Amino acid sequence: MATRIGLRFSRNCLRLVCGLLGVGVLGLAGCGGSGQNGPPITQPQVTVSGGAQVRLGSTAQFTATVTGETSSAVTWQVNGVNGGSAAVGTISAAGLYTPPVTIPAANPVSITAVSVAAPTLTGSANELIWNPLPAVTSAVVSQNYGATSGLLTVMGTGFVSGSQVQAAGTSQTTTFVSATQLQATVPLGTGVATVSVDVVNPDPGGTTSTVASAQVQTSLESASRLLDQATFGPTLTDIAHVQTVGLQGYLNEQFAMTPTLEPDIATPPPALCATNTIPCQQAEWWQAALTAPDQLRQRVAFAMSEMFVISTNSDNARAVTTYQNTLVNDAFGNFYTMMKDVTLSPGMGAYLNMLNSAKPGTIGGVLQIANENYGREFMQLFTTGIDMLNQDGSPQLDSNGNPIPVYTETQVQAFARVYTGWTYATASGGIPANFPNNTPNYDAPMAAVESQHDMNSKTLLNGTTLPAGQSSSQDLTGALTNIFNHTNVGPFVCRQLIQHLVTSNPSPAYVSRIAAVFANDGSVQAVRGNLQAVVQAILLDPEARAGDANPSPSDGHLREPLLYMTDVMRGLGFTFTGGGAGTGAEYYNSPGNYTTALGEKPYTSGAVFNFFPPNYVIPGTTTNAPEFGIENTAAAILRLTLADNLVYNRITDFSVDLSATSALGMTASATGNATTDSTNLVNALSNIFMHGQMPAQMQTDIVNHVATLTNIPERVRVATYLVITSSLYKIEH
Amino acid sequence: MGLNRRSFIKYASLAAAGNAAALRPFGALNALAQGASSYKALVCVFLFGGNDANNTLIQFDTAGYNNYSTIRGPLAIPQSQLLQLSALPNFALNPNLPDIQTLFDNKNAAFVANVGTLIEPTTKAQFKAGTDLPTNLFSHPDQQLEWQNASASGSTSTGWAGRIADTLNASYNPGASVPMITSVAGDTLFCNGSASTPVSVSPGNLSGAQCSEGTTECNAQKATAQALLSFDSGLTLVQADNSITSNAYNYAQTLTAATQSVTPLMTVFPANNALAAQLKQIAQIIQVRAALGVTRQIFFCGIGNFDTHADQLALQNALLASISPALAAFYAATVEMGVQNSVTTFTMSDFSRTFQPNSNTGSDHAWGSHHIVIGGAVNGGQMYGTFPTLALNGPDDSGTNGRWVPSTGSVQYAATLASWFGVSTAQMPSIFPNIGSFSTANLGFV
Repeated sequence: MATRIGLRFSRNCLRLVCGLLGVGVLGLAGCGGSGQNGPPITQPQVTVSGGAQVRLGSTAQFTATVTGETSSAVTWQVNGVNGGSAAVGTISAAGLYTPPVTIPAANPVSITAVSVAAPTLTGSANELIWNPLPAVTSAVVSQNYGATSGLLTVMGTGFVSGSQVQAAGTSQTTTFVSATQLQATVPLGTGVATVSVDVVNPDPGGTTSTVASAQVQTSLESASRLLDQATFGPTLTDIAHVQTVGLQGYLNEQFAMTPTLEPDIATPPPALCATNTIPCQQAEWWQAALTAPDQLRQRVAFAMSEMFVISTNSDNARAVTTYQNTLVNDAFGNFYTMMKDVTLSPGMGAYLNMLNSAKPGTIGGVLQIANENYGREFMQLFTTGIDMLNQDGSPQLDSNGNPIPVYTETQVQAFARVYTGWTYATASGGIPANFPNNTPNYDAPMAAVESQHDMNSKTLLNGTTLPAGQSSSQDLTGALTNIFNHTNVGPFVCRQLIQHLVTSNPSPAYVSRIAAVFANDGSVQAVRGNLQAVVQAILLDPEARAGDANPSPSDGHLREPLLYMTDVMRGLGFTFTGGGAGTGAEYYNSPGNYTTALGEKPYTSGAVFNFFPPNYVIPGTTTNAPEFGIENTAAAILRLTLADNLVYNRITDFSVDLSATSALGMTASATGNATTDSTNLVNALSNIFMHGQMPAQMQTDIVNHVATLTNIPERVRVATYLVITSSLYKIEH
Repeated sequence: MGLNRRSFIKYASLAAAGNAAALRPFGALNALAQGASSYKALVCVFLFGGNDANNTLIQFDTAGYNNYSTIRGPLAIPQSQLLQLSALPNFALNPNLPDIQTLFDNKNAAFVANVGTLIEPTTKAQFKAGTDLPTNLFSHPDQQLEWQNASASGSTSTGWAGRIADTLNASYNPGASVPMITSVAGDTLFCNGSASTPVSVSPGNLSGAQCSEGTTECNAQKATAQALLSFDSGLTLVQADNSITSNAYNYAQTLTAATQSVTPLMTVFPANNALAAQLKQIAQIIQVRAALGVTRQIFFCGIGNFDTHADQLALQNALLASISPALAAFYAATVEMGVQNSVTTFTMSDFSRTFQPNSNTGSDHAWGSHHIVIGGAVNGGQMYGTFPTLALNGPDDSGTNGRWVPSTGSVQYAATLASWFGVSTAQMPSIFPNIGSFSTANLGFV
């Protein structure tokens, strides 16, 4: 051996020459050192054997046979490089060749064995590298509601950048994500539930996987956005459920659900509200908002409570509980029923003074008029508004370009007289002997004392006249029917419902479509005022769903403080830990203590105009945005404080786990790579709070910030804080 | 009504002093703006829901009281309980306004009678004919907005204080670190200009946002949170909220620093009194006016529940009983700060209420109302405007229920305050487009 490698320079020289001479040349005499020490008996040579090709992702075993040398030992090269390289593949000392990650530019590669005993003695074989065998382990199609295509994600093995997804046998433009994931946008017919999927890998070695079935499910974006619009806040569980059952499926489930009603406050009241029953009523509201399964019904009832406003500022809390249950019960019923139930509720009666409104006339020698409060506000705020509307919600104008009033002061007085004669029902719900009945019955609809009802004729809207001599109930039915059938009611009510559930600035066409459903639900009976149909139409309208793909500039509405609170609490998974936890006697009232400073607490509006007016315009703009009526530089600061309390687990009687062992904490620390973990954390928060639609710049800013935090709970808290204090989150869109 | 002598003399003396600049509007403003004594503030107290002026300022002479008592019936307050005004003995105040009585008798408060929304001087006959009337009379939201924007309808996008800020801010508050207008009762149309928006303050919550992380991280977190407000999302509402929140960070920092640097005021404000809490906050901000770099400020505060359709006596009495000591404490605070002649406080409200009671011991939405103006600069102890004839279907009744047709426009009331504040005659039409329709723009009460 020493004699053969004695000439160091020549060895180097020879190796270079052999490499340059390349592949497939066995037993090159000029390199073999022949002519030394006499003629050999057999020509020494190295022979390499192994398969002619290998697939990416697998390996090939080579063997070298050395003849004519004392040692059979060899070293291995790939394309002349000892041991190979990442670019051309590597080969072990035992000749096990591992191809590179992707097919190299020069294919095949040369596998060379070099004799250890005689380094100038080499043997080579060409190895052609093939694409791997693709295999599909799972596939799913994520489809935005109403879209004609969906995003197919194929999970499996053996994928390469040229892999082609076939859906129902047709090739699709395919995005290579990784060797285990491909994506493609695939066309979907209406109602398609599954798509057959396979993957074709290209030559060299091109093959097709077996066919798998991809379930078509609703996209996270659609599912989460719907839940944001239709509930008190998406949870990951609910999102996954809606992705499975679809938007319509979810709505159907919700429509069918038993209403969650608030129990009457006990008599005597529990300790929490021994001296003031309001906290008990509020506790029930929060509990239903945070935990009730019939979320859509509760959310619609909440919207209605911001249109048909009453308040514990002047109402007994027991009456408010009854009232809330009325709205919950009627949320998916007919609007006429809601009008009537609201009108006769003791809560509304006391709030807008239909309760105990006596017929006008000379009383004690003094001429008195009928109380106009309910007569006016029932039209102005609850049903018709002041000005005549087109079906799309825009005002009708007279020949001078001025709005046209819906009613006159005289008509207000006529309605005021309609609503006379009502007082609290007796304990058994009957008609009391006295007027006013000063023994409250907060549960039963008000009862009429006919002697206190104005029986003169009344001229109502559109010239409709109620004849003289009608009873309280006859007049009430006549008046409510008169208003219910006014053409303003559909656009007036539907536009506000859209504003509460979906967007502050619906297009006129959107309002018009929903008002059309209000006028006629499309059933055989052509029902007017079908709220279930209206709610469904609002939520599934193309304008409501357009943001599932891309938000438009005018999208969305500000999360009012109550909905902000419930959304964060539900999203992060706050649980009740206060007194009575798990006993059925929990009192969930404390969240209101945190929203009060921001201008909201359930059923505490300062006036019948709600916490904010539906026509509020952002100062300095022409943008209608109701919730901005309570968003200002003071409220913005207070919301930052609320966010701090939320992420710092400081909500009295509630607890949230944002520790290192929580779901978010584990996401935030899974790999130990700060950037990777922070990215995954922020993506998880985007899924919970922003429908997976966080803009890239926001994501980058937050990741860059929290990646510097090594304390995992702090990383989770700060990332969460930055998400929930951003305007992009505060504006639900 | 009529041009007020004292304010006329003020302007005459300025010209007579030989200040040539006084002849040019901008020169005059600069001259006025100089010196610490030139500070002025307007404070609007809005009584939401429509305060019943008929039970606020009451005729006290025998004939007047008897007329009141006969028509008002169940809503009439016994004469023996009323607070007679020694400076105006034919009138008395609601028994729950003793502090206003004192301020009035000390000539630090005035009343302006039968003010209401008007487009032009309007008679009962013109009302019946329905020409050139304010939009949606008797409607709360509309009338609140029309009082606040001094315009013919509630649909304009600016309020009259906002337009004053648009006009005067650059002259009076150059380099100020907060806007000219501060609201302690949320955003209202009153405060919004086309170029200026108010700073909103939650009474008692000046200390900025709470942060529970360590100081270093809190600063870093704040910087990132603010950075997130800075990029253009392309979404209108997000951009609007970015703007509000960015301002909020800046104003909170400024106000916190300024108010922490001074000794608290000694004046005691009544506890458990929403209006008092708001006025106390206003006083604290006035106290640090120099640090904020302002010589002109307008404040908005207010309380609600004046919509007394039923149980009026109890409800209104309680409300008036809360505003009386609150306004008195605020005036005392201005005295403590030595700015009582620089701060003028005034009321506004949706409308007054029907003189005729309803059958539910309440009253309903009406129109012309009586308002209170308080401050050392007020020519107090007097009633301005014309008290209406309190007769159902009488000469001042728009109908038959005692809804008085205003004899003074709310725009005149506003323009008088604006004039005191520094708005020049030449600037008036741009701030109050309808002011030219009235015989005078200055009622002379301040």
